[in-house]
Amino acid sequence: MDFFSSMRVSSTGLDAQMKRMNTISSNLANSDTTRTEGGGPYKRKDPIFAAVPDRESFGEILNNELDEQVQGVIVTDIAEDERPARLVYNPSHPDADVNGYVAYPNVNPAEEMANMISAQRAYEANITAMGTAKSMAQKALELSR
Amino acid sequence: MTNRIFDKTIESLNQSLDLRLLQQNVTSSNIANADTPGYKAKAVEFEQEFREALGVTDELPMEGSHPDHIVPREGEPIEAEVYANPNGIESLDGNTVNRAEEMANLAENQILYNSSVEALKKKLGMLRYAITEGGGGR
Repeated sequence: MDFFSSMRVSSTGLDAQMKRMNTISSNLANSDTTRTEGGGPYKRKDPIFAAVPDRESFGEILNNELDEQVQGVIVTDIAEDERPARLVYNPSHPDADVNGYVAYPNVNPAEEMANMISAQRAYEANITAMGTAKSMAQKALELSR
Repeated sequence: MTNRIFDKTIESLNQSLDLRLLQQNVTSSNIANADTPGYKAKAVEFEQEFREALGVTDELPMEGSHPDHIVPREGEPIEAEVYANPNGIESLDGNTVNRAEEMANLAENQILYNSSVEALKKKLGMLRYAITEGGGGR
């Protein structure tokens, strides 16, 4: 357990929030995409977070149980939102079905904006935690002066 | 490792720095996992035990009047305990992290860490003063 443990944990938080931000950008950019590789309209993506104990290397597996409680976060998967697509009547569109409806992505821009704020705040909180660990480490170095 | 140069105060400050570091690690873990489904916020408990070790509780200290009596030994390392915070309110995804509380913990812990460092600096400064025979001696 050291200062770098705290910083590593915060950096996993930064990384996870960044990936979340990337999926939000992807969702917003594709909010009107009707064609995808898998066929059908784009589906909203959501990162799945999971907690993992902070370990620098294999040797640290022998660490005591207190360190097991210090956990970082990783993105284990990017899940697709299975909510139904938004149907818009437009018979002239090449992707319209037999009834003239076009399936648009199930992306709600307002929801993405709210997620974006949440991701930004979480990112800032991790930055603050990392800054605190850094200034504590620098404070400890004052002992040798 | 209490001896004549490094007294109980220095030893206690040392331990307090270690425990504050543990608190910092646990708090950053909570902040990193504020959006992880099912994650339970962790808390560190050591202050009560610390007070007991320093003998500053309201309770009466244990006295040993016989060599076979078990009394708390001085300089024994303090066992910190990390547990899932029972006061956490579970959100829809089962997460119990309270961001505002964690940020407050972060600030408080940093101040207390800094105060321990300052106190330790004072103690070491006094030792240095004695070593240099009042600062002027060669």
